[in-house]
Amino acid sequence: MQDEQKGKLHPLTLIMNEAVSIFKDLGFTVEVGPELEDEWHNFDALNVPKDHPARDMQDTFFLKDKEGFVLRTHTSNIQIRYMEELVKSGDKPPFAIVVPGKVFRNESTDATHEMQFHQIECLMIGEDISVANLKGVLFEFFKRFFEGEEVEIRLRPSFFPFVEPGFEIDLRRGEKWIELLGAGMVHPNVLSNCGIDGAQYQGFAFGMGLDRLMMMKLGITDTRYSYQGDLRLNQF
Amino acid sequence: MLISYNWLKSYIPQIPPAEELAELITFHLCEIEGVEKLPSGDSIFDMKILPDRAHDLLSHQGIAREISSLLGIEFQLPVYKQPLNFLKTNLKINIEDSNTRRYMGRIVRGVKVGPSPAWMVTYLESVGQRSINNIVDATNIVLLDCGQPIHAFDLAKLDKEGIVVRNAKDGDSIELVGREKQTVKLKNTDMVITDGVNNLAIAGVKGGLSSGVTEGTQDILIEVANFDAVTVRKTARRLSLQTDASKRYENDLSPTLCDFAMKEITSLVFEMCEGASFEEVVDVYKNVPEVRKVIFSNDYISKMLGVIVPEKEIEKILKNYNYEYTKNRNTWEITVPPMRIDIQGAHDMIEEIGRVYGYDKVIPQIPKINKIYSDNPTWLKICEAKNRLVQDGYREVMTSVFADRGDLEIMASASDKSFLRTNIKDGLSKSYELNRLNAPLLNVNEVKIFEVGACFTKDGSAATKGFGEIKEVVNVCFADKKGITEMSLDKFVGDIILSESILEESSRQLINPNSFKMWSSYPFITRDIAVWVPEGTMPEVLIDIYKDFGTELLVGEPKLFDSFTKSGKTSFAYRLVFQAMDRTLTDEEINKIMSEITKKIVSMGFEVR
Repeated sequence: MQDEQKGKLHPLTLIMNEAVSIFKDLGFTVEVGPELEDEWHNFDALNVPKDHPARDMQDTFFLKDKEGFVLRTHTSNIQIRYMEELVKSGDKPPFAIVVPGKVFRNESTDATHEMQFHQIECLMIGEDISVANLKGVLFEFFKRFFEGEEVEIRLRPSFFPFVEPGFEIDLRRGEKWIELLGAGMVHPNVLSNCGIDGAQYQGFAFGMGLDRLMMMKLGITDTRYSYQGDLRLNQF
Repeated sequence: MLISYNWLKSYIPQIPPAEELAELITFHLCEIEGVEKLPSGDSIFDMKILPDRAHDLLSHQGIAREISSLLGIEFQLPVYKQPLNFLKTNLKINIEDSNTRRYMGRIVRGVKVGPSPAWMVTYLESVGQRSINNIVDATNIVLLDCGQPIHAFDLAKLDKEGIVVRNAKDGDSIELVGREKQTVKLKNTDMVITDGVNNLAIAGVKGGLSSGVTEGTQDILIEVANFDAVTVRKTARRLSLQTDASKRYENDLSPTLCDFAMKEITSLVFEMCEGASFEEVVDVYKNVPEVRKVIFSNDYISKMLGVIVPEKEIEKILKNYNYEYTKNRNTWEITVPPMRIDIQGAHDMIEEIGRVYGYDKVIPQIPKINKIYSDNPTWLKICEAKNRLVQDGYREVMTSVFADRGDLEIMASASDKSFLRTNIKDGLSKSYELNRLNAPLLNVNEVKIFEVGACFTKDGSAATKGFGEIKEVVNVCFADKKGITEMSLDKFVGDIILSESILEESSRQLINPNSFKMWSSYPFITRDIAVWVPEGTMPEVLIDIYKDFGTELLVGEPKLFDSFTKSGKTSFAYRLVFQAMDRTLTDEEINKIMSEITKKIVSMGFEVR
């Protein structure tokens, strides 16, 4: 009967809030920002130059009749916006932000792909923030997020233009390893594009799909259910 | 890229077994997207080479060198047999554009075009390519082997024995080689290889049909060249001609690669065509890239990785990867091998050392951040709006940002909805209708839904460029039986000061993992049943009957929608919902269930109204 009086959040919001509050516990501050973005914040400042094959790594929605604008392909545009503001206000690292939000990829949809989906991203910059810290934060996050389960993470070399080195990170729940997120140490070009001295400051960034986390945690089998406005999904 | 194990083995005699190799590559180099075992016994790896290493790893030699460095085992370069002497040449090469970094040409006379030797066919087929003829196959082998695109022209089909590389003229066209006939129109931003009169090939992309090598070809001109990455990429993309050659050029290749490739192709043609005569190479090589030096310290690597990498480990890695280096206390100055275009600065050495040393050796460590900032106000407002609506009994949905009309259109969408929504209302009213129809399944008295999200409009009046014209606003929209209301987040939340950081906490709840239950896509049937029971009888008595006799087709909890008491009797009216996961239910099926329920109710002395 209690259900009758109180509404219910979308499961993605529940998962997002849970993830955000774990990261806040670990010292991160929440940042959000625009979904429609200029190429500077979505690509150039993130060390993804125009006419470079790295741009093909994501299928991008470009705006018609409005050159230079895209639907953001990741929440990483907020890395740039946040650091630009920080520098403009006369502040400097250390800082740590967590960015939840909607992102877009121009690809055909199936049970694990939607044109719109949600990511959560973290950026931590200081004088000595290292790969060990990246591992520490992620391991702690998964331990809490999948409470009561045995989890383990591992890093594999990979490439994303905005980090160096870059990693794919796999998560083990039970017996199985799953490729779950991209991460890396923030590329010095990204820091200097925002006016932060890459020789003095360093840190990590990672981003992962919230829809995927939701499916994994709740046992939801098709990512498309999330955006159909169907209350039968609100079971939690 | 498809990589053959046997091909690698020809360079690394001590190569580990295929399975071990796959593991090594996965954790120290790149992702392996698949391994296929061929009937021949060869194993084919599908390696995901990303843009940072596409300069040097889109080839068997590249991968083989990497493996040999990774393991510190021998890389054995084959001996490229060369003709004893090369004849003087009259070949003229003229570079008229600035985007050709190097162009090597060699004329070979008296080749015999025919089938390729068996080993060549096997190599090509193992990585999914088909054999065409010995000359074309040889150029493809060199591409797959050392990563350098090569082209062979039929010399007789050239206007004269000379090459001019220049920008195409707007409106020029060229018919291309390939299984399907294709003619493309060129622009003056495309580079073409010409004989001074005719276009022979689109530089770095594809050869033309008219100058291609065919069965009757006797004399050939071999091109080994290096073109600017961006120029090739733009042309290939505009013409939708992503070829093996253009893919390598657009990732930038070292011009030094041309030397190896010319040697290799010469030796292949020499071995296949007895009696052929080889002329000297003409090499136009204007801007030889500078040798790059990178300086880094042990401390820098350790500070970035968060683990102390022993100095002797670093030295071993530098040695195995053929870096020339000098050491000054704990600082290294290295000379970057020309193929390693990816190594631009000290930061690139973190990966070079980290991945070989092993990221598994980095021990997780939780950092301390002492400075706490406040959360973004928009986030706090979104949390506040959602909390308020949930408190008022609304359930949250999400609908698509893509709409069939709007102010802003997107290009080349995979969907038929190619506009961005200007409001949530349109999507939410459809959602409301869907949920109203499904209301019996939802265990709600009334459907009340909401969505919070961004909407996109264009301000036609604004003269400013960029963001001045585009407006992205976060809206709140909610719908119930009274109607649908939409307003901006700011307006909805109002001017209250939001208490920090407890907002998402307050909406946090214990979620039962793996508790999702898929719904049925078949129609449901509802039945209402009202029963007289003696006053004071608990309704659970009836609920138990409905659940016991409702079978697995009964969905959710029976729902009490009416009750009243009259002369010592109480009437309870319940709505039962039936649905199957695998079929459309028939009335007869449900009638049977209802009659069982009625029978049970009567047997207990109650009366069905």
